[in-house]
Amino acid sequence: QGHEELDAASLREHEEFTKVKNIAKIELGKYEIDTWYFSPFPPEYNDSAKLFFCEFCLNFMKRKEQLQRHMKKCDLKHPPGDEIYRCGTLSMFEVDGKKNKVYGQNLCYLAKLFLDHKTLYYDVDLFLFYILCECDDRGCHMVGYFSKEKHSEEAYNLACILTLPPYQRKGYGKFLIAFSYELSKKEGKVGTPERPLSDLGLLSYRGYWTRVLLEILKKHKSNISIKELSDMTAIKADDILSTLQSLDLIQYRKGQHVICADPKVLDRHLKAAGRGGLDVDVSKLIWTPYKEQG
Amino acid sequence: MSRLSFRPRPLDIHKKLPILKSARDFEDDDPTVAAFAAAPIIILYHLYTASGIEGNSTPSKKNAQEIPTPQFDDVETYDRDYTRTFAQPSCYIRGRGARAEIGEFVEYDLDNEDEDWLDDYNNERKNLNPEKLEVLLFKLEILDHKARERAGAITPTFIGPVPVLLQLDVAMEALQYLSVRYAVFQAVYNYWRAKRERWQKPILRRLQPPPPVNDTNPYNVFRPREKAHRLHTRRMQRRENNIQSFEKLRLVRRNLDQAKALMGALIKREETKREVMECEVNLQRVQMQYKHEAQLVDDGTTLSGFQQASSRFGSSDDDYADSDDTATEEPYFRQPVLHHRYPDNKQSAIPTLRIKREPGLPVLKRRPQQNGWKSRLPVFPITQDPEEPVLLFTRPLDPDKLVAAGIKLPPDPPIEIDATVPPFRCRGRIGRGGRIIFDRWNPLLRTPTSIGQETTHFTPYG
Repeated sequence: QGHEELDAASLREHEEFTKVKNIAKIELGKYEIDTWYFSPFPPEYNDSAKLFFCEFCLNFMKRKEQLQRHMKKCDLKHPPGDEIYRCGTLSMFEVDGKKNKVYGQNLCYLAKLFLDHKTLYYDVDLFLFYILCECDDRGCHMVGYFSKEKHSEEAYNLACILTLPPYQRKGYGKFLIAFSYELSKKEGKVGTPERPLSDLGLLSYRGYWTRVLLEILKKHKSNISIKELSDMTAIKADDILSTLQSLDLIQYRKGQHVICADPKVLDRHLKAAGRGGLDVDVSKLIWTPYKEQG
Repeated sequence: MSRLSFRPRPLDIHKKLPILKSARDFEDDDPTVAAFAAAPIIILYHLYTASGIEGNSTPSKKNAQEIPTPQFDDVETYDRDYTRTFAQPSCYIRGRGARAEIGEFVEYDLDNEDEDWLDDYNNERKNLNPEKLEVLLFKLEILDHKARERAGAITPTFIGPVPVLLQLDVAMEALQYLSVRYAVFQAVYNYWRAKRERWQKPILRRLQPPPPVNDTNPYNVFRPREKAHRLHTRRMQRRENNIQSFEKLRLVRRNLDQAKALMGALIKREETKREVMECEVNLQRVQMQYKHEAQLVDDGTTLSGFQQASSRFGSSDDDYADSDDTATEEPYFRQPVLHHRYPDNKQSAIPTLRIKREPGLPVLKRRPQQNGWKSRLPVFPITQDPEEPVLLFTRPLDPDKLVAAGIKLPPDPPIEIDATVPPFRCRGRIGRGGRIIFDRWNPLLRTPTSIGQETTHFTPYG
């Protein structure tokens, strides 16, 4: 019993500490960004109010000169790992947390500054990181990313997702969500994001599910089962149900469930859900699902 | 009309649902049904609130406040810092692997301490440039790590201060190729070593051991985690929630049901077999009882009618092997050994229980009939029934047979003065092992055996 109390106390202490941001600003590539949340950098960084990140390898330093010195020797111009998608200036890189451990850890330190509920408790070995980049003649610049467990027991196809603040509200977040489902489709598995979802995350996912499902219902002529919708979209049946229910589209008529798909009603919902992000051109995805080596 | 009386079935995700396109389809003949259209929403609501997603989340004021707004500025020196030297290849980029493993990339970056120390050290003259210091510190870290590796001092997680094992002279020699003046090298080495001793851990982050798994400090991060069930991976990857799996599961269930039915039948059979055996035992008991009450007869009489029937527990010809044992003065009466044998066809008049021999059950070999002991002993009323246990001590002595065998009662003791009858009379009986015993004392009554008792049927235990 005393053990529980101790945990509650240390939890409160932790919450108190994490309410206070340690790093207030960061410099990352083109932008100097205000942070939102505490991130557990190594103790020797506790005295810093600002950190300077190398845009490509994500090493972080306390002084600008140190970063500039670093940039002279750092030959990385894009995330380490394989490019698996390229469409126009948009590229997606897959980074294995085991093969690029320092990069993975750096990314987690960085992302935590903008994610409230992310935990860095365990190491990055068991994760894959999907880095979304805009490319130009200076390199492939990260605009956002999502992480994914290599082996998820709960069929999670996404662990954490973040669009860096300077790039938000441009459709990158929705692209990342759509991309996660494209990977699931290629794997032949349904997927769902890891819970709990942040407020913004929930909004984004609702929007995505609404758009995908209602587009299908608009076009579909005959009847359809939830399972079929799931197979088509790789969206978990629970998520489909909750979405349709929240939109009042499943009703009970004459002793059975029906889907109400009045086009006017659907359009209304689609409008409210907001426009889609950048589309994923599946033909440009060159990728095989992760396989454990030896 | 109570709400509770109408309860739609839970939604089956495999069942095809009609898609109603027009508002007309929504109207229902039964107004009560339409009134309860909201019911399934309520019933099913719990399904997905459990998954953590709240239904009907319109962005409320509260939600908007919890989504922070981005604040950012341009970095002025960006164009200078990031050069336009990237040529995107036409094919997708392949990862090379971590730089640490590949080449000579200097992973270490000078931190504030290092820069400050260098400024200090370079106070009078330019002894050392920052890049060189960076290389030196990096190499010292690598060399020390190797030294610890050789010494077996590398721990997978952080369990205590990490020692410095690299010595100055060793480092000097290994890093000769960097062409650093001895004095400078020594200064750098000393600075590095002092810093290491202050930090109690490597200064290159990649070489720092991670916190142990059971470390509860919330500020410590990146604990190692064993990937669970490596052996199960393939099975789990193959395990899918689809129709084939469902069918397979149905098949497994059917097999288990059949196995269960089979086991039930087996149990029933064994119980029946046991009942049969109990019947046989009871039958034996009854038969024995019957024999006891029957009059005793000599050899070769109708006792042969009591021959055991084709019970598997009996035989018609053989003696009990026990009989031999009694001749060797076994002090106790043995239970009759139950032998199984093949049913004998020449059976008795008494209707008997015929039981087929079960295939597979063992047949114990019968001991060959031995009559030897019979001829050695005096002729006593021994039952002809070979199955009959020889309970001689329950039988009274037959005076005629005594006479025929030439056994006399012991003489009466002399009559004492003032008595009319002898103090005791010997009474004969058959004791254990077939011995003939003449008692002078009745242990039960604790009195001498007297006249008149000699012919009573003496049962030792009343």
